[in-house]
Amino acid sequence: MPAQTTVQKIIARAAGRPHVDVGAYVDVRPDYVCFQELYWPIHKANLARIGATRVVAPDRIVMVIDHTTARAMGSIHHETHHDLERFTREHGIRNFFKAGTGLRHLVLTENGFARPGTLIFSDEGNIASIGAVGALNIPISTEVFVGLVRDTNWVQVPETVRIRLDGQLPRGSTARDLIQRILADMTRSGALLQACVEFHGPGTGGLTLDDRQTVLASLFHSGAYTGLMEMDDRAWTYVRERAAGPVFDDRSDPDAEIRSEFAYDLSGIEPMVTPPPEMDAAVPVSEVAGRRIDQATIGSCANNRLDDMRAAAWVLRGRRVAPHVALYVTPGSRSIYAEAAKEGLLTVFAEAGATVLAPGCTTCWGYQGVLSAGERLISTQQFNYHGRNGSREAEVYLAGPAVVAASAVAGEICNPLSLDAPVSEGAA
Amino acid sequence: MPEIRGKVWKFGDHISGDDGIIDFEIVRAGFGKEPDEAALRAMCFRRLRPEFAANVRDGDIVVGGRNFAHHNHIEVSAALKASGIAAVIADSCDSGFIRRALNFGLPVISCRGITAFVEDNEVIGVDPAEGIIARHDGEQLTFPPFSTRMLDIWRAGGIVPLLREELKMEVSDADHR
Repeated sequence: MPAQTTVQKIIARAAGRPHVDVGAYVDVRPDYVCFQELYWPIHKANLARIGATRVVAPDRIVMVIDHTTARAMGSIHHETHHDLERFTREHGIRNFFKAGTGLRHLVLTENGFARPGTLIFSDEGNIASIGAVGALNIPISTEVFVGLVRDTNWVQVPETVRIRLDGQLPRGSTARDLIQRILADMTRSGALLQACVEFHGPGTGGLTLDDRQTVLASLFHSGAYTGLMEMDDRAWTYVRERAAGPVFDDRSDPDAEIRSEFAYDLSGIEPMVTPPPEMDAAVPVSEVAGRRIDQATIGSCANNRLDDMRAAAWVLRGRRVAPHVALYVTPGSRSIYAEAAKEGLLTVFAEAGATVLAPGCTTCWGYQGVLSAGERLISTQQFNYHGRNGSREAEVYLAGPAVVAASAVAGEICNPLSLDAPVSEGAA
Repeated sequence: MPEIRGKVWKFGDHISGDDGIIDFEIVRAGFGKEPDEAALRAMCFRRLRPEFAANVRDGDIVVGGRNFAHHNHIEVSAALKASGIAAVIADSCDSGFIRRALNFGLPVISCRGITAFVEDNEVIGVDPAEGIIARHDGEQLTFPPFSTRMLDIWRAGGIVPLLREELKMEVSDADHR
């Protein structure tokens, strides 16, 4: 049999074939179809238009309310919450997760839906974060409604680009800094366009599972189609504790056809900031340090896991958020929220003067933390274009959780390593 | 015989979808609404080929260069479909564009070398089932053929008409059981 990459093997299995060619269009049966609530009114209209009366494979549907975290006054979304609760009950969709559970990304990994070798159709490219546990995200946008009435759909087998990681991140740098570096280097050239990016090499071993999800969640800004991270003992341990079904040890054959290969030395990664409005314009934090900020937010599928909470707390312990700054911290799921509480991280945030929000997308799309004209935000969120968080005349800078927390303390964009020493316990 | 035969409208590299094939203003004004076909047809390619809307004929083919229609909301596909375009062939494009267009019944084919292979105004044949693009002199380019499901969607005129027909058949099958 011809040599294949990991993504070829996953798609081949979902297509019921021993082998699929790169570039081929193939019909596949996904393990799950996963989506969120914001487009539900459009899905519902499409279901009515096609005369759908039943859901074909309810156990393969994973529906998550994550963009809105409560039935709040003054929006249409509380009706959607009500409607989805009824729809999923009537159609026997057991994998329905109500507001406050967390993001789809984490619902998929924490419940063992995303596991090595699974193919998941979802509504967003950032769900490639599940590649950290060997699962393949295929983003199909609003076409997810098709999954309610058909258990197959088509996919084109992407080319693979391999990125080798060596070394370890230096103190003060995070996985977000690495992916900002990669986006700055590889977006304009189109080097990753439409590819499945496979990270491998000794450097991946030094990244925690949370770090790996951060890298994969922001990869799509480069034009990459999806991504995977080489599985190791740490990833397998996580998977074995939760797998909700069979797992497969897929890996690229050494002689499989790939488009290209790149390498990064993690020890050279410094704290980065991406100024508005382009996603590939990251610069070292020193180039924008000193710009006054009004708001700082930590959360979103890029940086809402326990290690991100720890990185923020590492900076905030014994320090205070500047008086003119609002800092919002959003854990990505209820279980991360609970873990952060057990570790005392929520206490650190509260004592520093930060506000902890309910698990969900929250500040990333301006659902909370809305900006007015002339305000400046530094955030771990996914986008920095004009108007993402409210006024088009506001500015959004992107950075990792340590830089965001340090900037909240300083009241201006700041490298965590250049903050003054924290106030010791009991000091005035 | 290829299933599609039409006259080529040829465009260059890196043509934006939302800010090139159409103007983004129509997307912003239309969120959550059905696409306005007449307005999209009038707007289609107006800043690149002002004569397009008046001269395009049902069955014509759009050929684009690399990264064609990048950044495209569904209105881009709707505009091409409403203009009567039978197929789009590009040196490269993103798979999201292929999905969105196909869901409107419009085949988009990513085929390296197409802009060097055909001239503006030339008549060519396209066969998504066989993966062949044919010039009048008999020369051919090949691309990966569409899957069975993709052909079903295309021939039904889009995902909604296809599913509507399939579900109607299922209901009548159940009635006769």
